[in-house]
Amino acid sequence: MINVENLVKKYDGYTALDGLNFTVEQGDIFGFLGPNGAGKTTTIRILTAIIKADSGNVLIDGHNIFQEPWAIKKIINALPESTGYYEWMTAREYLEFFSHLYEEKTSREEVDRLLEIVGLQGKGGHLVRSYSRGMKQRLGIARALINRPKLLFLDEPTNGLDPIGRRDIQDLLIDLNRKHDTTIFLSTHLLDDVERLCNRIAIIHYGKIVKIGEVDRMKGKGTIEDIFFLSTKESTS
Amino acid sequence: MKTAYVLQKEIRESILTPKGFLWYILTSVILSVLSYLFLTNSELSLLDQGQMLYMIMNFITALGILVGLVFGADAFAGEIERGTMEALLLSPVTKAEVAMGKLGATLANLGILLLISLPYLLIVGKGGQNLLIGMVYLAFLATFLTIIFSAFSMGLSSRIKSVKNSLMASFFIFLLAGSPIFLSAAQRGTWFGRILDLINPFADAINTFDSVVVDGQGFVHQAGRVAIICGYLLLSLWFLERSISKQEM
Repeated sequence: MINVENLVKKYDGYTALDGLNFTVEQGDIFGFLGPNGAGKTTTIRILTAIIKADSGNVLIDGHNIFQEPWAIKKIINALPESTGYYEWMTAREYLEFFSHLYEEKTSREEVDRLLEIVGLQGKGGHLVRSYSRGMKQRLGIARALINRPKLLFLDEPTNGLDPIGRRDIQDLLIDLNRKHDTTIFLSTHLLDDVERLCNRIAIIHYGKIVKIGEVDRMKGKGTIEDIFFLSTKESTS
Repeated sequence: MKTAYVLQKEIRESILTPKGFLWYILTSVILSVLSYLFLTNSELSLLDQGQMLYMIMNFITALGILVGLVFGADAFAGEIERGTMEALLLSPVTKAEVAMGKLGATLANLGILLLISLPYLLIVGKGGQNLLIGMVYLAFLATFLTIIFSAFSMGLSSRIKSVKNSLMASFFIFLLAGSPIFLSAAQRGTWFGRILDLINPFADAINTFDSVVVDGQGFVHQAGRVAIICGYLLLSLWFLERSISKQEM
């Protein structure tokens, strides 16, 4: 589903991504781990065609992201880190606005279906500003599902949520993956999320992948937390 | 079509709000006071209809520019600061479509300002022979100037990515545009003043209004200034296009 080769991105001389290589298979919930500033958000922004890389190659579902960004935008979607909302809209209006940008004449039933998937049924008429943080995250995920994406990027989706909110979002992601066959690229530094959700992970540090593999196999060598610390420590030294 | 949806959102967000209505009420109050003074003040009422009309037209144009600058400064930087830009860029909408939608909202706002000012123009300019042609010039030049200043401000907003800083830069441009007003009549008559007047789109617009409604001159006399304004229009749209094409989060 995703094939990344030698991806490099520099900001004013600072190397954010330093020759990144990894693949994600169809149906994966792929955990993308790393400390703050490791390059997780930059990677997602490149893979979602929001920013350009300096060099390297990215194929998503067979399309080259730098040559066919519009084809890719139709099959992917994302929930960015600390995303904002048009707080003066109702949740329904918010979803309708974005569905129009996809030129999809989303019916009332379709919006209801999206609200139901994320557990916001009956709350579509409420103003977004009245929503709690967890409800806004759910709305963000509903917005990200508007084009029925094959591949969903989530940047720290459970950050700042209470344990119930986190568990709800985790359940929702498992549902999306299993029932709707959505491949999920999950960027996080919350190792609980990774243990519960992901079948494969990559650990990024200073813009390089320092560890990649299947979670079940890695667990034989210690907890995810141990592997995370060991990998980032080794790459620093 | 996507531009239309962005435009619709912008109009709802910026115009059809209590703040938007407050702005229009304020405009009406200021225009009422100005018109009342023109018609009743013993010194101001000595001005002929053309001069009164000219002053009201200048005020409306300046107001249109000012609102265009504020809308422009918020356009991209505001979306980035509120965290909504990334969701927009994730959808298959181009930055140019977003910019056109936002520019359209600025023009919709100018349209409302022009509608509000219509009765005041009719009352103040009543009986003056250049009222209608003056209103036509006002509609066109205020639209052009609003696009020029809004597009420059929007371009800065896209490059600077901070509402506060792009607003400050935009106001600086507004003050530069208004600089001929601060010159005395004698200074404006010097070669420096004349060049400043000529290259300044705002000065070109108010000199055109003067020429049309006060002096009653025809289009031939305005063609040079209108051409310069059209040049700025193209330049501002080019600057906007360059700025948004380089924009990165």
